[in-house]
Amino acid sequence: MPRWALFLLVFALGVTAGLIYGWVIAPVQYTETAPASLRADYRTDYVLMVAETFHVEQDAALAVRRLSVLGSEPPETIVLQALDFAQQGGYVQEDLSLLAALAQAVRLVTQGGAP
Amino acid sequence: MINFRQAAAFLLIFLSGLGVGLLVAWVIAPVEYVDATPALLRSDYKDQYRLLVASAYAANGNLERARSRLSLLEDPDPVQVLTAQAQRSLAAGQPWESVRLLAALASALQNTSPVVSSPSPTLASLALPQEETPTVPPTPRPDSPSPAETPSPAFVTATQVPSLVIPPTPRPTRTPTATPGALFVLTRQDVICNPALPDGLLQITVLDAARKPVPGIEITITWSSGEERFFTGLKPDVGNGYADFIMAPDVIYTLRLAPGGTFVSDLAAPICPTEGGEIYLGGLRLEFQQP
Repeated sequence: MPRWALFLLVFALGVTAGLIYGWVIAPVQYTETAPASLRADYRTDYVLMVAETFHVEQDAALAVRRLSVLGSEPPETIVLQALDFAQQGGYVQEDLSLLAALAQAVRLVTQGGAP
Repeated sequence: MINFRQAAAFLLIFLSGLGVGLLVAWVIAPVEYVDATPALLRSDYKDQYRLLVASAYAANGNLERARSRLSLLEDPDPVQVLTAQAQRSLAAGQPWESVRLLAALASALQNTSPVVSSPSPTLASLALPQEETPTVPPTPRPDSPSPAETPSPAFVTATQVPSLVIPPTPRPTRTPTATPGALFVLTRQDVICNPALPDGLLQITVLDAARKPVPGIEITITWSSGEERFFTGLKPDVGNGYADFIMAPDVIYTLRLAPGGTFVSDLAAPICPTEGGEIYLGGLRLEFQQP
C-alpha cells in the first residue's frame, strides 16, 4: 500500500473515531433549551395550558404572546398542530373544545380582528 | 517495518483526524435536540412554565393535573420552588396577579398529598425511548368517556393510530385538604423583646389543623396611610408558613388573612427595655391555625 494511502486511512480512522465519540458516546448535551424544542406531547400540553387559561381570561393577545415561545410558526399553526395531536391522542372532548376555541381566537387576533 | 518516526507521524495524523471528527460532531453539526422535556428548559422558561401551570390551575381547579405538569420540571421540592419563584417575582416587581397565582398553587399543593391509589402516569412517566415509536395503549382519563361510548369522527382512538400516541395527563379526582375551607384563627399573640431581631418585627406563622405550615396564604396589613400585601412561604428558609413585616413606631396596624378574612386589629410594635435601662422597639409574633 502506498504511504499516502496509509496516511489517508489513518486520518479517516481518526475522523471516524471523533464522529463516533462526538455523536454517539458523548454528544452535545443541551440543558437549557427553549419551549420550541419540546417534544410534541409536551408542546401539546403547553398549548392546552394556554387554552385553559384563555378560557377564563378571554385575552387572545396574551395567549398569542404565551404561544410565541413555542416557535416562529404562526400561533394558529401551533394550536392546530396541538389540536391534531390531541385528537389523535384521545384527549377528552373538553380539552379538544378548549384547543379549538383557542385556535379560533388566535386566528381572529392574527387576522386583525377582535377575539 | 514501521520505525519510530513513522509511528509518530501516524499518531499525529490519527489525532488530526480525531480533532476534525470532534469538530464536526460537537461544533459544525452537533446532535439536533428537538424532543426536549420540560426539565431541560432554561431556568427563565421554567419560571414561565410554572406560571402557566399556576394560571391553568387557577382556571380549571385541577390540582392533580397541575401536580403532574410540575413534576415534568423535576424540581426536587415543587412547593419550595414555587414559593421561591413567587418571592423573586415580588422582588422583581412583577404583576401581583402572577405572585398570587404562584402562591395559590404552592398553598394548594402543600395542603394536599398526591393521589396514589390509581396509576396516574404523567407525561414523563409515559415517555418512550427516542429511538422507538411503538404504539402505546390508550390510558383514558378517569372521567373521559370511552371511545366506544362516544363515536365521534373527530375522536381518533389510540388503537387506530399507528404511531406513537401519548395520552394526556390524566384527569384526576381532587384530593380533599385536611380542613378544606376552614377559617384560620389566631391561636397565639406574643410580644417579643429580643434585641437581636430587627426593630418592630411582626412575625406571622400560619398552620393547618395538623400544625403543618401553610404557604401561599395572603396577608394584608393596613395602617392609616397605607397597605401592604404579601404571602406566607416567601421565606422558605425560615418556614413555609412564615411571613414577616416591619412595623414602624407609633403606628397601629390591622392584619387580615385572605381566606375567610380572619382579622386582627390594634397591632403595634411594643416598647421593650434593655438590661441597661434603655428602650427599643420590640416585635410581635402571631400564630394562626385552622381548627
